[in-house]
Amino acid sequence: MNVYTPILVLGILAFGFALFSVTLAGFTGPKRYNRAKLAAYECGIEPTPQPVGGGRFAIKYYLTAMLFIVFDIEIVFLYPWAVAFDQLALFGLIEMVLFIIAVLVVYAYVWRRRGLEWD
Amino acid sequence: MSAPAFGMHLADVVPFNLPSIDYRLIAPILILMGAGLLSVLVEAFIPRRGRRPVQLIVVFVALLAAFAMVLAAAGSRAVTAEGSIAIDGPGLLLQGTLLLVALLAAMLMAERMVDPSGDAFAPRASTLPGSEDERQFTQRGYLQTEIWPLFCFSVSGMLLFVVSNDLLIMFVALEIMSLPLYLLAGMARRRRLLSQEAAMKYFLLGALSSAFFLYGSALLYGFSGSIDLPVIADQITAKPSQSWLLMIGAAFVLIGLLFKVGAVPFHQWVPDVYQGSPTPVTGFMAATVKIAAFGALLRVLYVALGGLQWDWAPMLWIIAILTMVVGSVIAITQTDIKRMLAYSSIAQAGFILVGVVAATREGLASALFYLIAYAFTTIGAFAVIAMARDSSGEATHLSRWAGLGRKSPIVATAFTIFMLALAGIPLTSGFIAKFSVFTAAIAAGDTWLVIVAVLASLVAAFFYLRVVVLMFFAEPGPETATVAVPSVFTTVALAAGATVTVVLGVVPQPVLEMVANADVFIR
Amino acid sequence: MNPANYIVLSAVLFSIGAIGVLVRRNAIVVFMCVELMLNAANLAFVAFARMNGNLDGQVVAFFVMVVAAAEVVVGLAIIVQIFRTRRSASIDEPNLLKY
Repeated sequence: MNVYTPILVLGILAFGFALFSVTLAGFTGPKRYNRAKLAAYECGIEPTPQPVGGGRFAIKYYLTAMLFIVFDIEIVFLYPWAVAFDQLALFGLIEMVLFIIAVLVVYAYVWRRRGLEWD
Repeated sequence: MSAPAFGMHLADVVPFNLPSIDYRLIAPILILMGAGLLSVLVEAFIPRRGRRPVQLIVVFVALLAAFAMVLAAAGSRAVTAEGSIAIDGPGLLLQGTLLLVALLAAMLMAERMVDPSGDAFAPRASTLPGSEDERQFTQRGYLQTEIWPLFCFSVSGMLLFVVSNDLLIMFVALEIMSLPLYLLAGMARRRRLLSQEAAMKYFLLGALSSAFFLYGSALLYGFSGSIDLPVIADQITAKPSQSWLLMIGAAFVLIGLLFKVGAVPFHQWVPDVYQGSPTPVTGFMAATVKIAAFGALLRVLYVALGGLQWDWAPMLWIIAILTMVVGSVIAITQTDIKRMLAYSSIAQAGFILVGVVAATREGLASALFYLIAYAFTTIGAFAVIAMARDSSGEATHLSRWAGLGRKSPIVATAFTIFMLALAGIPLTSGFIAKFSVFTAAIAAGDTWLVIVAVLASLVAAFFYLRVVVLMFFAEPGPETATVAVPSVFTTVALAAGATVTVVLGVVPQPVLEMVANADVFIR
Repeated sequence: MNPANYIVLSAVLFSIGAIGVLVRRNAIVVFMCVELMLNAANLAFVAFARMNGNLDGQVVAFFVMVVAAAEVVVGLAIIVQIFRTRRSASIDEPNLLKY
């Protein structure tokens, strides 16, 4: 049983955080009710009625998708490091910080060039 | 392999040593990568007006600092970063050459006097060709500065490519080198449709070749249980029976590298990309990618696949012959000067392959000398092409070059020097380069290959000299291009290219000794 | 299960990708075929890592994933730009560059 305790604790923490965030948002956020709130998906393209020829996605979706892919995949390097970070000690920490800085430089560029704005 | 016991980290099971990295030896690569990141920050935080001077300072300081670090490391012979990077004579020599050539290419890219509306790059690569936005940006005199981070990253990839000692680092370096080049190819200010088409072709075929390289690496890893080039070599000698994993793996890796070199039959991208890209980028790519890709090819052949020499030598024989003949013969029919130089670069790759096939110490040294000579000549030739213009941009059709020698004798003379060098006429660097490659090949017993090579260079001499004759022995007409007056950037690049071409032809001894002393690749 | 089967699967995937690059006409599809080839190589690396009993192949797989993502971004940027210019993603249509 002992070995499962961390998983249990993690599950409780995750559930607690989700409950906390949703409740907090309900109390603090502004409330506006409109038709969009009732749609199946609040964002994205209306799935019906389907336009002629399947329709085309706007270019901005591609931009968002590309940015997502790049920043998403970078995380892959954090997993091997997380497995062995106590063995890698300071060396691993410094290397990882340098790596994160490189990613942040790219993030700063995207942000300053208004790549994160929708319109 | 049993599963790790419960409650234990994998790291407890696998013994772990911290990697030892000699930062002094890999400093040139790190400097260029750091400059790339800095350059991205400049793009993000410095207002538009200040960007260009700051970027130029970052790029030139980084190139010079990296070159100083290469000089400081001269004579080192070490394998560092857990066996993944090998700093040795040929590697350092190629790194130094790459940095000097990149310096000249950066000068060509920084030039903004020859085009009245700015430099060679589209003010905004994202605007549609012929759109109102594009016209507005041009009118406001906007200059593209995002080329500089791309340039820095590409150069850092090349520096890593020539010293990478395992297949993973080689693949990553290949991509760091290529991805920025795909984008740079599509950024021309004029004839943007052509430029975008070149970018797409370069990208799709380049991605295909890197997929071949990667799959070949996977098979070699399956054969030897390691991605380190020396370990692969040991396994080849240790396992006497030839397995299909090794054969197909080696072939796929070589296909990936021969593609970057531009050898027939993997050459189809070369003419389109050379013609469509902005001319400074074509010069940069033609000179540096050739050096970097041949550096990696030589290292793979000499270090990893040395034990297979009797298998790859006949294959490379055929590829070298095809490359020389196809490149030289098709170049004759070209009417566009950039396209002609593209086929010429294919033919030159064939001549360098003659030195590679020799697989001796002399062969290696002659190939290195050829690469140095070729790179400086090429960058100079493209500097001239960027200057010959009319009202609509560069005049690249050969008919526009008729009589150029009467109109602008100095520039035409410089171009003549480059053409003579590429043709291999004595007193130019090209002659010494061809001579040493052919001597090394004959010493290695490849007499027939040299006979074909000499015939091919005779054919090639025809189209090089045709341009010279056209420039000096035809009357200038109304169609003849005008040579724009460049700023100090292009002037320096052109003068440096011409000087190196002549000096290497007249007093080649110091450089010949340098390549001979570069020794072989470290194992 | 015999890991050699995964090698066969990766060879099949690689061949499908290579044939796709040669016969398909849409730049996006050609590009997806190249990605399939890269992932076939990844599968081969991981399977060989299991067969050889060392971790090198798995490390390579991580790097290849990241490089492939970077390649996706660069490729999509180029293809989207061409599409905006020409309203088509056919690789036969851009044919200004020849001979």
